[in-house]
Amino acid sequence: MPTPRTLSRVAESIYWMGRYLERAEGTARVVAVNANLLMDLPAGASLGWRPLLDIAGAGDAFDARYAHTDERNVARFLTGDTANPSSIASSTARARDNARIVRGAMPRVAFQYINELYLFVREELAGQPSRSRRGAALDGVARRVQQIEGFLSSAMLHDEKWQFLRLGNHLERADMMTRIVDSLARHPNADGGLPSFEQLIWRSVLQSLYAMQSYLFSTQGQVEREPVLQFLFANEAFPRSYAGCLRSLRFGLRHLPRNVAPARVCERIVRHLKAAHPQRLDGTALHDFIDDCQIQLNALHEAISNTYFHFEPAAPPRGSGEAPA
Amino acid sequence: MPIDWKEYNAAGVWDELIAPTGRARPGAGPLRKMLARLSDVELGERQAAANLAIRAMGITFSVYNDESPNAIDREWPFDIIPRLVQRREWEAIERGLKQRVAALNLFIDDIYHEQRVLRDGVVPRAYIEKSREFRPQCVGVDTPNGIWSHVCGSDLVRDHDGTVYVLEDNLRVPSGVSYMLENREVMKRVFPELFEHLAIHPVDDYPRQLSRCLAAAAPDGVETPRIAVLTPGIHNSAYFEHSYLAQTMAVDLVEGRDLVVGDDDCVYLRTIEGLVRLHVLYRRVDDLFLDPETFNEHSLLGAPGLMRAWRAGNVALANAPGCGVADDKVIYTYVPDIIRYYLGEAPLLPNVPSYRCVEKSERDYVLDNLDTLVVKPANESGGYGLLIGPQATKRERARFRRRILANPRNYMAQPMLTLSTAPTWADGRLEPRHLDLRPFVLSGHERYVTMGGLTRVALRKGSTVVNSSQGGGSKDTWVVDSTATAPRARR
Repeated sequence: MPTPRTLSRVAESIYWMGRYLERAEGTARVVAVNANLLMDLPAGASLGWRPLLDIAGAGDAFDARYAHTDERNVARFLTGDTANPSSIASSTARARDNARIVRGAMPRVAFQYINELYLFVREELAGQPSRSRRGAALDGVARRVQQIEGFLSSAMLHDEKWQFLRLGNHLERADMMTRIVDSLARHPNADGGLPSFEQLIWRSVLQSLYAMQSYLFSTQGQVEREPVLQFLFANEAFPRSYAGCLRSLRFGLRHLPRNVAPARVCERIVRHLKAAHPQRLDGTALHDFIDDCQIQLNALHEAISNTYFHFEPAAPPRGSGEAPA
Repeated sequence: MPIDWKEYNAAGVWDELIAPTGRARPGAGPLRKMLARLSDVELGERQAAANLAIRAMGITFSVYNDESPNAIDREWPFDIIPRLVQRREWEAIERGLKQRVAALNLFIDDIYHEQRVLRDGVVPRAYIEKSREFRPQCVGVDTPNGIWSHVCGSDLVRDHDGTVYVLEDNLRVPSGVSYMLENREVMKRVFPELFEHLAIHPVDDYPRQLSRCLAAAAPDGVETPRIAVLTPGIHNSAYFEHSYLAQTMAVDLVEGRDLVVGDDDCVYLRTIEGLVRLHVLYRRVDDLFLDPETFNEHSLLGAPGLMRAWRAGNVALANAPGCGVADDKVIYTYVPDIIRYYLGEAPLLPNVPSYRCVEKSERDYVLDNLDTLVVKPANESGGYGLLIGPQATKRERARFRRRILANPRNYMAQPMLTLSTAPTWADGRLEPRHLDLRPFVLSGHERYVTMGGLTRVALRKGSTVVNSSQGGGSKDTWVVDSTATAPRARR
């Protein structure tokens, strides 16, 4: 057999499959955790469901379709509404579309698992499920995505295609993490409001990212704004932290050919983080910093896309057998 | 027990499992016994389990309708009762198919070179020159080993007296083999116990055989050819199959936009590292969409320059362009003569007796007997565009009369066969349903025939239309050794 090479189109699909899977999981966690948080906050202390729309960056799209920003509508919009391109239903459908394209590049049952996730979402999150049913379904989504990612990690050849999957996973994960922090850090109680509620909010940020135990183990401290921010942005040992995602992105790029341009962007992001100390920033400054993070992640996406997916390859030399690498 | 086998058979129809007496045909005994043991409810549960497995495994095909611009992805319709073929009979069919495909490849190669078969008057020249599938762009091209149709799917039917006929040959881009393979996977889940008691020949060697066949087509001097499957894309009705075959052969599944033909007339893949040379393309795209430089200039499914690369011998296209000249339904009527001409042998598998409308005496017969014949146009597939005389209205027959008279070259007719049946799960009971069989023949350094093939079944009562786009389903096909079932325990 000739040396395996990765088609640009396949690399792109597997990258997007990784992003959409991660997006579905992240959204499921955020909706579930917010529902829990609201049960604990007194009516007046709550920002309600609006921040979730900010996390998804979908406030305008929501307002165009729904009159009231209430639990029923926001949960529907973010989970089962296929008209919202970043809903769980849309993300899983797109993950499946991409999986169909790269079906042949994965172990055979991988498509079956992704297909089952898609069917699960279609059945459990369409219409208006009750609160408890929705909670179970969101949990089911997160668990299925973890099963898929875990399976791929343990059964897929760790070749270039795998690196693109991980790039997609981690880029989306880093982006999602900054959005979660951004929306909840803006909460009036998150920044020196009522102490018990401040705790509640930071706890829910940690829970959204499965970070509670890791946080407690590594800091041995209270759940407070500064150490939580420090942990979520800078603790490389935690794989869902911003620094942890960057580490995985760097690692992935190192294993790809022709990686100069995206690797350069990645290094710039790492320097930006090291210089920033986000835990010391106040509300507005933190928001600006997170904005910069998202802009840089987008630049990294562009660099990956321009380097590997959409580029004009050098023409083959006349009369040659093999084109230059 | 869901069925009384004595009441099962319809008069004048050959059933593949049950003889007219109600007893099992040779080799079908264990299956019949097991079906007798299971209750209606249990059988229904097994069918439901099969449907569930197909859904979860994502075994689908796509259909188009007028209401939706995009294809609808449907689960593959599958019936859990297998169709059996005895090993002995299968071996004879296998020999017949190899003979047929060998002759057809010689015929295509001859048509694009010396045309001896036309000069010697075996096939009339006018048929070829007016054939919609004859491609002047292929004239003079030498293909490795003289193979043009690397993958052939021939449709077999059995008439009421038990005779197996070749109904048609699909030499261009025959599909269905992935369903044959997946049907077996599903059956192993649904009836594991039967696989213990019957000697069922496995089918899963196909991807390896296909890969060998494609490698054999590589340009001269290429020792480790890079192979890819070309698909029109995710919306094509056979996308599942394209993806399945690429996966099981461990080669890339490519679309036209992944290909670049250089000024050096070589074909390259767009990879993350740049361009990489491709040697063999198993293309599942029709001729006319392969290369906008040569054929349909608006096609986005192929790649500009593919034909020039193929003509230069730098890439193998499987199947080769121009193969369709031999699966024209009028040319079909000459296949027995073609076999005799090239191989000097008598055909082992019979054609369905056919009438050529271009010859006056035969045309007159066809026009006088439109109510009993099936009339087929030369170049349609998927069961479209044909007249089934006994089921047609007066007006439809009149329309076909006009069409035949306007273009007699384009039509042939056959007597209506009574396709054989097999027991099929139909809303809570087993009933006979008509079926056919599509084996696949690979031509490389040697020839290979699948063990059995894809059995397609008309799920509607009385229907003989087996195409999945028109309400057909499928069954697993078991080639069994009737003499070598599992040994019985000694008393």
